Amino acid sequence: MTRRRLLILAGLLLFAAEPARAEATLTVGAIYVGSVNDYGYNRAMKDGLTAMKEAVPGITLLEAENVPETAEAERIMEGMIQQGAKLIFATSFGHQQFAFNLAKKHPDVVFEHAGGWMQAANFGNFFAATQAAWYPMGVAAGKMTKSNTLGFVAGVPIGFIIGDVNAFALGARSVNPKAEVRVVVTGSWADKAKEAEAANALIDQGADVITMHVDSPATVIQVAESRGVYSIGFQSIEARALAPKGWLTGLGFTWGPFMTATAKSVIAGSFKPAMVRQGLGEGMLAVAPFGNAVPEETRGLVLAAVDKIAKGYNPFTGPLSDNTGAVRLKEGEALGNDKMGDFDWYVAGVIGKAK
Amino acid sequence: MSTPFAAAVLSSSVLSGTSLLYATLGELVGERAGIVNLGLEGIMLIGAAAGFAATSFAGNPYLGIAAAALAGMAGNLLLGYVVIGRGANQLAAGLALLFFGFGASTLIGRPFMGAIVTGLPRLALSELGAFDLLVWLALPAALLLWCLIFRTRWGLALRAVGEDPAVAFAAGRRPGQLQYQALALGGLLGGIGGAHLSLALAMTWDEGMTAGRGFIAIALVIFAKWNPLWAVAGALVFGAAEALQLQLQARGAYVSPFLMTMIPYLLTLTILVFWGWSRRSAAPAALGRNFFGVE
Repeated sequence: MTRRRLLILAGLLLFAAEPARAEATLTVGAIYVGSVNDYGYNRAMKDGLTAMKEAVPGITLLEAENVPETAEAERIMEGMIQQGAKLIFATSFGHQQFAFNLAKKHPDVVFEHAGGWMQAANFGNFFAATQAAWYPMGVAAGKMTKSNTLGFVAGVPIGFIIGDVNAFALGARSVNPKAEVRVVVTGSWADKAKEAEAANALIDQGADVITMHVDSPATVIQVAESRGVYSIGFQSIEARALAPKGWLTGLGFTWGPFMTATAKSVIAGSFKPAMVRQGLGEGMLAVAPFGNAVPEETRGLVLAAVDKIAKGYNPFTGPLSDNTGAVRLKEGEALGNDKMGDFDWYVAGVIGKAK
Repeated sequence: MSTPFAAAVLSSSVLSGTSLLYATLGELVGERAGIVNLGLEGIMLIGAAAGFAATSFAGNPYLGIAAAALAGMAGNLLLGYVVIGRGANQLAAGLALLFFGFGASTLIGRPFMGAIVTGLPRLALSELGAFDLLVWLALPAALLLWCLIFRTRWGLALRAVGEDPAVAFAAGRRPGQLQYQALALGGLLGGIGGAHLSLALAMTWDEGMTAGRGFIAIALVIFAKWNPLWAVAGALVFGAAEALQLQLQARGAYVSPFLMTMIPYLLTLTILVFWGWSRRSAAPAALGRNFFGVE
């Protein structure tokens, strides 16, 4: 063979050898609705993706922060697909439709959406069943409060959030029948000034334990800390850094195991779309470490409640009345996970109207 | 331990209305000189981001206020150059400043997002309560501005430029220079208004955290009939509209948060309707018009 032909052959062989290495990698795209520095929802998503990247070798992660819940999201995800992404995590509720549109256009790309309900052959849905997990948080709050008033700052009053408040109240009243929960709705998942004012309003009304369900717990926790009241965190267990004195406990999402399993299934070609809802004890939710203010006895009670929920205890079991006295659940009835989005009433002990 | 309802609403309104008041005063000075600044929201955002960034960097919230004031001033002077120096349409330039402000504030604030800062400390300077320095200075600022506009030579010249710059020019004043000065002062106040949000109210920075307060301030200027003293009342009312619904909710009275969020804007529309009824408008006559000089 002439030297020239040898060189050409060698070049072709090298070229042919490339794809073998490329098959081991998976490009994963992820869009966040806010900043990952929020000590909250987006931070938890980022931590999960980081865990996935570390657990599965050869993953390239493309990320975009502050992606609005508009058609812009579609363009950004499209850009990631152009860069070779074969798995896209659309991490915010409002990204659902746009991710779904792209799923129809790109049947070879797998989409996982957080918090919605749509499904397709290449579109799955995942979230944690947060409601029951708020029960042990209520236990902590109910034991630590001295004024018997607990404050809850809620973002958008959808059924799932009302369910969180209800479980929190049920947990609190299980250890402290005099505890009351006051709810303030800000109307938006992330309006920092309103969250600060809402937290202040609750503290003005005597709440000495504050918690929230908004995208970032940072503002509410900082306000609570500055006014010397206890706080219980949500979304990310890293939020405890914000309240060295007042932190009691908190809930955080641990998306790592699920994201790792999804990435592996996509690489292996065995992805099956599903509506995944995992509760406490199934891997997607974790209870944060306790703050220094929490005494041993209370820690024991909270951990016992966590264990109870993890083993399947459903706090939404009858008989249960709402806060106007009407009976909502009769003896023996219970609300399953699929009913968590339908809440439009508060349990007894919550001050406010859900509708 | 719970504070009485009226006191809670009042203190919330004051806290909420302070940033509105500073922004309104800033816009007011500019409009008295004849320049409409539709980009006030952008200026507030730049102030909030710069203030937060400086505080996070230096550890001192008062330095943050200074940084916010300077950043706001720079933003407004930019508008001044475009409108006075190059004669651009004020409304268009203002809107351009708005978008510029969004982008610039995001750029400045991005590296500091999530940072924990010591906000402005609350000082109990009187029995009325413990508020931060900017709240205590708000009313004196309005009074000072009133004196400046209505009781000084500079203020007279400013109002003259706003009414008829040609006449002011004929009287020996320099309209362009006065407008620049007014915008500088206005930007300073607007930046401080933004800083109050990020350093005192929320103690954090988030993109677009002013949430339309700049536009409410522009409406407030009309509400106040371009008078700083009325601006105080207006800011308090608008601050109360926001504070009331949250306090009512905390008490247990249910008010739809979405409905209550509409109230400042409904108030603005009502004002515009009523104030527009009378033929004699209190607006400076040359508001919005560029003075190209007498050659």
